[in-house]
Amino acid sequence: MKPATLLRLALAGSGTDTLRVVFTAVSSALAGLTVLSAATVIAIPELGGPDSGSDGWNSQYRSSLLAEPGLRPGVVATLLLAAVPIVALAGQCVRFGSPGRDRRLAAIRLAGATPRQAVLIAAGETAMAATVGSIAGLGVYLVLHRVLHRPYADGRLPLPTDVLPSAPEVVGILLVVPVLAGLAAVLLLRKVIITPFGVVRRARGRKPSVLPGVLIIAGVFAPLMIRPFGEWLLTQNVVRGSTAFLIGATLMIVAAIVGVVIGTGWIAYTAGRVLRRYARRPGALLAGRQLMADPWSGSRTFASLLAAVIIGAGVYAYRSYLLTMFAATKQANALAGDGGGSFYDTGFYLGAIDLINVTIGIGAVIAAIGILVAVAEGIVSRRRAYAALVAQGVPRRTLGEALAWRAFAPLVPAVLIALSVGVGLIRTPLPAVSVTPRRCGGEPTQCVQLPELTLAVPVPFRDLALIGGSALVLMTLVVGAALLVLRTSTDLEELRTG
Amino acid sequence: MSTPYVLLGLLASAPRHGYDLKRAHDERLPLAKPLAFGQVYATLGRLERDGYVEQSGQDRAGGPDRTWYVITDPGRDHLDEWLSAVEPPAPHVTSTLFSKVVVSLLVADAGRAREYLIAQRAAHTARMRELTAIKSRPGAAIGDIVAADYAIAHLDADLRWLQTTLLRVADLEKEVTG
Amino acid sequence: MTVLLSGRDIEKSYGPTPALRRVDIEVGEGEIVAVTGPSGCGKSTLLHCLSGIMRADAGTVTYRDQDLGLWSEARRSELRRSEFGVLFQFGQLVPELTAAENVALPLLLAGSGRREARKSAMSWLERLDVGDLAEVPPGEMSGGQQQRCAVARALITAPRVLFADEPTGALDVLTGEQVLTGITEIARDRGMAVVLVTHEPRIAAYADREVTLRDGRVDATGLGLGLAS
Repeated sequence: MKPATLLRLALAGSGTDTLRVVFTAVSSALAGLTVLSAATVIAIPELGGPDSGSDGWNSQYRSSLLAEPGLRPGVVATLLLAAVPIVALAGQCVRFGSPGRDRRLAAIRLAGATPRQAVLIAAGETAMAATVGSIAGLGVYLVLHRVLHRPYADGRLPLPTDVLPSAPEVVGILLVVPVLAGLAAVLLLRKVIITPFGVVRRARGRKPSVLPGVLIIAGVFAPLMIRPFGEWLLTQNVVRGSTAFLIGATLMIVAAIVGVVIGTGWIAYTAGRVLRRYARRPGALLAGRQLMADPWSGSRTFASLLAAVIIGAGVYAYRSYLLTMFAATKQANALAGDGGGSFYDTGFYLGAIDLINVTIGIGAVIAAIGILVAVAEGIVSRRRAYAALVAQGVPRRTLGEALAWRAFAPLVPAVLIALSVGVGLIRTPLPAVSVTPRRCGGEPTQCVQLPELTLAVPVPFRDLALIGGSALVLMTLVVGAALLVLRTSTDLEELRTG
Repeated sequence: MSTPYVLLGLLASAPRHGYDLKRAHDERLPLAKPLAFGQVYATLGRLERDGYVEQSGQDRAGGPDRTWYVITDPGRDHLDEWLSAVEPPAPHVTSTLFSKVVVSLLVADAGRAREYLIAQRAAHTARMRELTAIKSRPGAAIGDIVAADYAIAHLDADLRWLQTTLLRVADLEKEVTG
Repeated sequence: MTVLLSGRDIEKSYGPTPALRRVDIEVGEGEIVAVTGPSGCGKSTLLHCLSGIMRADAGTVTYRDQDLGLWSEARRSELRRSEFGVLFQFGQLVPELTAAENVALPLLLAGSGRREARKSAMSWLERLDVGDLAEVPPGEMSGGQQQRCAVARALITAPRVLFADEPTGALDVLTGEQVLTGITEIARDRGMAVVLVTHEPRIAAYADREVTLRDGRVDATGLGLGLAS
């Protein structure tokens, strides 16, 4: 198939397709904006070498996150990581089918398109929309660049609005976003079969294996291994903080997160079983059966919400650790007679953590939108069945209840597990802070070591409740919107053929 | 005209007298023109002359009405021949077609009826194909096309009736032989 | 006459409901075969299996000595834009494309350039008397015009077998006649085989011979009489 043909077929949309295209474009614009911001931070010139100390700082920026060259990579990494779920969201829009698109793709398959060609055409629409979106994102970026350039009284800047990424970088970003969105779309169409008679979702009939459950438990206990693992590494003459150590630690964290994410299928299935067994209301029973029949529907975005919860919990646990460390050093200094201060710029560290939390929050919102897209798509693709149910007398209310149960029954246990895993990841290797204060007289040789001071790191229950609560609130909003979609989809007009 | 064959068919199952034959004919073929007694005897006379039926005794209780007639072996053969022959599918075969189907079932040989019906349908469809080819030929005159249309429409109607009849066959068979 | 396409012992069920039970059928080169029977007898399913649109549950479909059951979905799809033409009652034209684009679609999917594909499409549309509708989307045409575009699309790749499923079902008598006459003329011209599914004897009369199905089985009597023979 020549590219011109692909283009023509991908763009042959109308009506409801416009909504999908707009959604894709907006997500891509957001993704483009995020990546451009990361590129801007990268564009801040390095003033010195690794040993330059504060001479190497770009002091025109107020925030040390931007000024200190050692911290900027972290900012860039966070921004790029944040862009990933946004691009995934853009790709996920391809799943939002419509009767028009289904008919079109079926007719194209009948004319002799291979399944792969049909997928390319569907993903092509995503890529086109993403191109438009990323160009729009560039426009927004340029406007913001101009508008947010507001120096403080001392001439310093809040944001890096004095640098621009180079032209090749910009073009590269404009190309990369649509390509990634297109790839994400192709990946997400794996479960969708486009036949010459219509589009069907391949529902998995099998019960999810318990293996992910095992993975979750392994993930929870993995952090226990971090300290002995570190000690083993030390015996191997591996320096603490070196690459190998970091890689090992990262792998373990990733394993824990992946375990929870994959385990969502098992969680959903088990929640379904529990509902089937103990529920009384018809809505809950229906939800139980639906969960058991198709535990994976929408679960990928559900999983990304959980990932956000895990990371958020971990960050708050780390914050708790930092606070304890500040308190410990403060106490140590007091005992050492150096006054009550601490060496650390607490404001800076805590500010950095808050910034990370904001990013995670945005990621969670993106994930919630993704869940809404998946749930809405599921409703729309089953609208005939739903409309028939309503016509036969099943009250809309019951269907709505089933929807709510399906969303919350797996969510509550999953969030609890995610919170514990997140906290556990940080807390298990770092359950307490130990400091050894030294009281010194006038000469360094007269220092006396005082008994070790250990403070246990408290579990930040309040913050965790905040995270869990936010996840539930987000889900409530999603369910609310989905109920509206259900309302319009069960219009009896849907029962007419064609 | 198929009246001789209908009478032969009626006689194939059992001997009857003239009055009975007329009654049976009108009952079994209600939409056909009712037979006049004169026609019955004229036909019976011809059949007797041809050796297909013979008189088998008189019912002394009345006059000629009570003469019993019975089918002969040549008569049976003659009937068989007629039943095996496929009606040339042309317009206006309906009544003969009708008779033949009914008589086939009257003779109550399911296998024979089956064979006839299959052959008749094949003949109809073959003729429809011929006519369609005539119609579709490039340069066919409008007169040919219109005539072919007419024939095809009637053949189509025949086939449709045949199909429906077979769906009702159980009832029809009971009625005819009962 | 060489056998071009054949089905042996074909079985197909939709869930628990059997649609085809051990059906045998052969189509020779250039032969026009009608598949008839009452609605629900499995004729459309047989057509879908023979054309490779669906895979039979059991039995073999052989085209030019190759077992289509062994072919991948992609390869069978490619057949539909090279050697097989497909013509349905409705649902085959893409509503958002123009007539010319619809007709050119199989060629475009096979990798032709837009210009050549369009040229072929125009010539077929003109041959079927709908050349002036080339830039019109199917939604704005009459049923007969749509069907003629569909015929053009089915024939543009010069297929060796045309699969037509009730092609005149939605058309009035005269328009249907035009479509069928057109198809059979082209078929005879090019030695193209046709598998024509219909429940009407009048339409079946355009074929060289007939295969009747009933309840998913071949009915040699053609009348639904006692299949146990």
